[in-house]
Amino acid sequence: MIRLTIDGQEIEVREGTMIADAAARLGIDIPVYCYHEALGPLGACRMCLVQVEKMPKLATACTTAVAEGMVVHTSGPQVDKGRKGVLEFLLINHPLDCPVCDKGGECFLQDYTFRYGPPQGRFQEPKIQKVKDGPINDLILIDQERCVLCQRCVRFMDEYVGEPQLLLEGRGVETVVTTVEGKPATSQFAGNVIDLCPVGALLAAPYHHKARPWNIERQESVCTLCPVGCTTLTTGRDGQIVRVEGRPVVDRNWGWLCDRGRFGFDFAVHPRRITTSWLNGREEAAARTTREIGQWLRQVIENEGPDRVAFVIGGLHTTEEAHQLYRFATEVVGSTGVVVSRDVPGYLPRGLNGTFEDLAAADAVILVGTDPYESVPVLHLRLRERLKNRRQPVQLMGVAPRELGRPTLPVDTLVTHVGHEADVLAAALKRGAPQHPVVETLVSKGAGIGQGLSEADLARLGDALLQSERLVLVWDGVEPEVEAAFIALAQVREGKRTRVLPTFGPSNWRGFERAGFSAQYAALTQVLEAARDGEVRMLVLWGADLLREYPDRRLVEDAYQKVQWLVAEGLFLPTGHEAFSAVVPGAGPGEVYGTYVNMEGRLELATPSVNPPGQARPTKSYLTAWAHALGRPFVVDDEWDPYDDASADLLPDEPVPTTITPIAAPVSNPGEVELVLSAMVWDNGIPSQILRSRMASPLARVSVADAERWGIREEGLVRVESRGETIELSVKVDERLTPGRLLVPLGGSTIPANRLQAGPVKVQRVEEVQAR
Amino acid sequence: MKPEWRGWAEEAKKQFPRANSALLPLLHRIQRSEGWLSPETLADVAELLELSPQYVDSVASFYSLYFKQPVGKRVIHVCVGLSCMLAGSDDLMHALEEKLKISQGQTTPDGEYTLLEAECLAACDLAPVAQVNLRYRGPIPPSEADRLLSEEVSS
Amino acid sequence: MSQTYYLLRHREVPNIGQIAVYRAHGGYEALRQALKQYQPDELVDLVKRSGLRGRGGAGFPTGVKWGFLPKDGRPRYLVVNSDEAEPGTFKDRELIENNPHQLIEGMIISSYAIKANEAYIYCRGEFLRGYEELSRAVQEAYEAGFLGDNILGSGFSLNIFVYRGAGAYICGEESALLESLEGRRGNPRLKPPFPAVAGLYGMPTIVNNVETIANVPPIVTYGAEWYTSMGTEKSPGLKIMSVSGPVNRPGNYEIPLATPLRRLIEEYAGGLKDGRQLKCIIPGGSSVPLLTPDKLDTPLDYESILQAGSMLGSGGCIVIDDSVCIVKASHRLVKFYREESCGKCTPCREGTYWMADVLERLEMGLGDERDLATLTDVADNINGKCFCPLGDASIGFLVSAINHFRDEFEAHVREGRCPLGAKVYDTANY
Ligand SMILES: Cc1cc2nc3c(=O)[nH]c(=O)nc-3n(C[C@H](O)[C@H](O)[C@H](O)COP(=O)(O)O)c2cc1C
Ligand code: SF4
Ligand code: FES
Repeated sequence: MIRLTIDGQEIEVREGTMIADAAARLGIDIPVYCYHEALGPLGACRMCLVQVEKMPKLATACTTAVAEGMVVHTSGPQVDKGRKGVLEFLLINHPLDCPVCDKGGECFLQDYTFRYGPPQGRFQEPKIQKVKDGPINDLILIDQERCVLCQRCVRFMDEYVGEPQLLLEGRGVETVVTTVEGKPATSQFAGNVIDLCPVGALLAAPYHHKARPWNIERQESVCTLCPVGCTTLTTGRDGQIVRVEGRPVVDRNWGWLCDRGRFGFDFAVHPRRITTSWLNGREEAAARTTREIGQWLRQVIENEGPDRVAFVIGGLHTTEEAHQLYRFATEVVGSTGVVVSRDVPGYLPRGLNGTFEDLAAADAVILVGTDPYESVPVLHLRLRERLKNRRQPVQLMGVAPRELGRPTLPVDTLVTHVGHEADVLAAALKRGAPQHPVVETLVSKGAGIGQGLSEADLARLGDALLQSERLVLVWDGVEPEVEAAFIALAQVREGKRTRVLPTFGPSNWRGFERAGFSAQYAALTQVLEAARDGEVRMLVLWGADLLREYPDRRLVEDAYQKVQWLVAEGLFLPTGHEAFSAVVPGAGPGEVYGTYVNMEGRLELATPSVNPPGQARPTKSYLTAWAHALGRPFVVDDEWDPYDDASADLLPDEPVPTTITPIAAPVSNPGEVELVLSAMVWDNGIPSQILRSRMASPLARVSVADAERWGIREEGLVRVESRGETIELSVKVDERLTPGRLLVPLGGSTIPANRLQAGPVKVQRVEEVQAR
Repeated sequence: MKPEWRGWAEEAKKQFPRANSALLPLLHRIQRSEGWLSPETLADVAELLELSPQYVDSVASFYSLYFKQPVGKRVIHVCVGLSCMLAGSDDLMHALEEKLKISQGQTTPDGEYTLLEAECLAACDLAPVAQVNLRYRGPIPPSEADRLLSEEVSS
Repeated sequence: MSQTYYLLRHREVPNIGQIAVYRAHGGYEALRQALKQYQPDELVDLVKRSGLRGRGGAGFPTGVKWGFLPKDGRPRYLVVNSDEAEPGTFKDRELIENNPHQLIEGMIISSYAIKANEAYIYCRGEFLRGYEELSRAVQEAYEAGFLGDNILGSGFSLNIFVYRGAGAYICGEESALLESLEGRRGNPRLKPPFPAVAGLYGMPTIVNNVETIANVPPIVTYGAEWYTSMGTEKSPGLKIMSVSGPVNRPGNYEIPLATPLRRLIEEYAGGLKDGRQLKCIIPGGSSVPLLTPDKLDTPLDYESILQAGSMLGSGGCIVIDDSVCIVKASHRLVKFYREESCGKCTPCREGTYWMADVLERLEMGLGDERDLATLTDVADNINGKCFCPLGDASIGFLVSAINHFRDEFEAHVREGRCPLGAKVYDTANY
């Protein structure tokens, strides 16, 4: 530790800390443009000048590391003049268009000019002319005249994301930030440069000229589009959300978002968003529909008993809404079928759930099934950051039915057959701890074969699983038996920390669980089977779209057929809504106050920016109305609080289960092509017009080798046969995909993946009738 | 992409112990044969050296001797550094502009000459000095500007 | 004037650029001697004792710099800086075009001394001929067994690589040079770490100027005492001064340090042409303050020039006579820095742009009373606040010009034209 004095205050910081960061800890604000802690020092803008005693010149606080006994002054005539000078330099070629700039009021240049006083305006020369409102892509604009060449954007894309799609072109005062030959930046992380830009050079196209800072308010919120739960700021204007920005949280996250989350906020105003009710397939006034549903409820409860009503929650609801629904279902109705909608069968015991801090401290990270880049994008950035920290090396491996590595994140992937992930984990444990009783139990049914993998592969995995001090696994939940392998692993590792980050949805499933619902797949299946068998008369789907989500579509179809009343609440009409008795419009994120629980089991609070549109209502409005119809008291308990005193913003910890369930021996008949199901945040069933162009291309993928075999160039149409069903799929060729695999997004709105089953499938190319 | 470029790229990579050092030499070599570096050429170079096109574009645009626009057969760099200025380089440049009927920075319509300013060429003893296709010519008093246009040039 | 040359030997020995000629005149004997009679550390010590200071501009003692290399077993590199682009300096060009083997011999000895097995020469892009000569000479040296494996049976191996830049003065700054050598934009690097600790490809690297290294073979041959017998205690040895401007014999002159400036101008360079009168002199390349005629008797050594108010720098001596407009000269130099600023840091990028514009306007007679104060203040806002020394270099001459010739600047404003009637082309902007 190093002790130094800044503006008369003493502080002790780690060796290697920059003066700027040390000052920030004391709450002393040193102005910066180019510096960003995540990107490291650059020293380009020279705004952060400070005076260090015994140094002949002013020093830049962002590049000068602290030293024992150092005495720093962050203001004073010399410092102020230096900074004022730099500011003036930045302004000489900066256009005077603050009044029409989207960043007006949120701009470092404006702020510092205010602080250091405006320059005397003694620059009389013509300003250099550059491009204004040039596109970085269809979502991001650049005004090169406003750019202060801090390089944050270029460095972020290049060094941090590893997709160097922005560049500095030219030299000296003619230097500009641009894309190569005007080719649009395609990275799904490109939007972050808007937040990073300290001035109004990089702008969100959808927000361009939309609002002025003095007529907006930014609310702290959370992105609900995937389980990472990135912290955001939402800007509402005239009853609509018009912008989402990343929100850094000190010591926790840098505020990065993926473009799906940043620009996908418009689902709230999407044409498919419902703002009126539907009754028996037709639009109907909300009051009438609500009343009708209330009567059905009463009928079922009174005539057939409360157990004949079942509730399935899903979608983007808050934990509080889930709790209200849970209490209504169990206390007012008296139902026992209260479950969470699931699109994969896996489950993770709370006690094994890890945090991003675990990830940052891990010495081994193993991706099981999941490709974070596609399913939980910002986790991909976290993994890159972890990998870049060379002081603490980390081993990154994968166990999945396809290659998971990509140029920006090399992963030592053991490519398994579909459905063999649990077996391969067991096989590695068997190599690593052969005599261990836990392992013996785990493989007692013949698992642990490791088909297609070499002894060296399995030994390497075994080492990573057992030798690492702090192990983090990241899991997609597609293969349920993996849970048993995790439990066994944690036991074999004894005291060494073993944690799992689940990447499956719904985004707030842990919150629903906290509210009382069962998130076990078996519980959901049981409800659906009961419905199919005629034991459920009324099925209430709260944000859930089972025909799209639930892995076995046929069971859902049968259940829907059989129940008398099928009622749904949501932002959109559920799949097959024609057959529904009633659909009521719900409130979405940004429209209600509440918490979401992310993949870490961390509670995150969101404040609404706008009211629900049209006749859309928050959960409690409906519940109160129905309780009234039932003549039963129901006071919405607004005081309920999912937080726990002991665990702060994490859900309370629980012990890890101790029972070891043996893993079944894997089916070893792979077939020529195996279907891989995988969550993709770009097709998670939530529409966006802003992102239309990026969502357009087919998401199902075939490998280069298979494409050649089937005569597919870049994109094509294939017929896939599985479970006796045949569907046609648009596919595109994916260089990274392992040959012999067909990759299909889970639960997407474009492909009915749940009509297929993971594992061997028959694939045939469909001759295109016409050029599409 | 010209077929021989592949070979050149391999040579450039082998010329130095580490492949990063191959970029500038390869750009030099290709520009020598092509005259300039078109966007397509830069993209080809990126592919040949397994670099991103952004990287190559950014690097090439930093250096004044890489031409991102077509240039004439003879590229005349007139040094306008202080020592050359003291010896009359402004007049030399002016004389050339008049003779070629172009301003500095431009190329004659027939594609014969490109006239460019150079910062100090480290040949102040030859002031006023110029380079024709990077071969020194000097001293060239303004009255003898013609010499730069007529002499044989090697490339 | 008869003179014994050590660095500019090609003036006595025609074709010394050919290895046969170079060897016939004792070439590569210093190398033989160094490999046979010295341990590497002893050579470092020899260079330390000779007091040789870097000739690239900063004048840092070469042996001391070599001693900074960490002894941690990592590979080390020698990089020779032949990016010479500072206005007024043209000595390295003459050396590489005419006497390349002396540089190569110096590089082999220096590499042996610092235990490097790879050495690079970074030639500025405009030095096409110099690059070709060096490439040819390196090839000859390989063929003669002075490069490659096990040189002269000593067990020491060295490869030399010749690299050509592509037009960017900033690449003369050592860390920008290394960036460029690694195939990147020539932006200077953050220091520390200094190249001696983490340089080319992250390895310990010594960057030296061409002339610095060319001094090494004679030092080995004639000894440290010979070297210290010339010049002063702190500035021993030989220096090549480049003289340009309106003198009778512009060119490079090899002089013992501490030779009076007057002698360089009047005897070596033959005095001013056509009876012109001296207005001022830039003694060490475009980035140093000017000296007025009253300083003509200053000895050309690092300390004396500093005391006189300027710097010896790279030894580029530009003579300015009284027909020259000081505003125009200032504009020309500042414009050079504007063109060559890498653009990374704000004060250098914007400040040079601003100053050049003000100076241009002044020169055209379009200035106003505030301009001089603005210029001085802008220069102050650049001073000591840039990422690399280029920013400071851009104000060295200007500030001294304003100090010494304030009247002339003011006259431009007062009279609304250049009082010396300097011609200005290209006024289209105004
Ligand atoms: C802007 C700038 C340009 C420079 N140009 C050169 C140059 O062209 N040649 C050179 O040898 N040194 C140049 N230098 C100095 C180098 O950074 C470095 O100090 C030198 O090469 C070290 O060699 P020496 O110790 O032998 O002098 C330059 C420095 C700066 C800041
Ligand atoms: S665009 Fe913005 S972030 Fe990027 S360099 Fe310019 S000012 Fe900085
Ligand atoms: S020249 Fe650009 S930072 Fe120094």
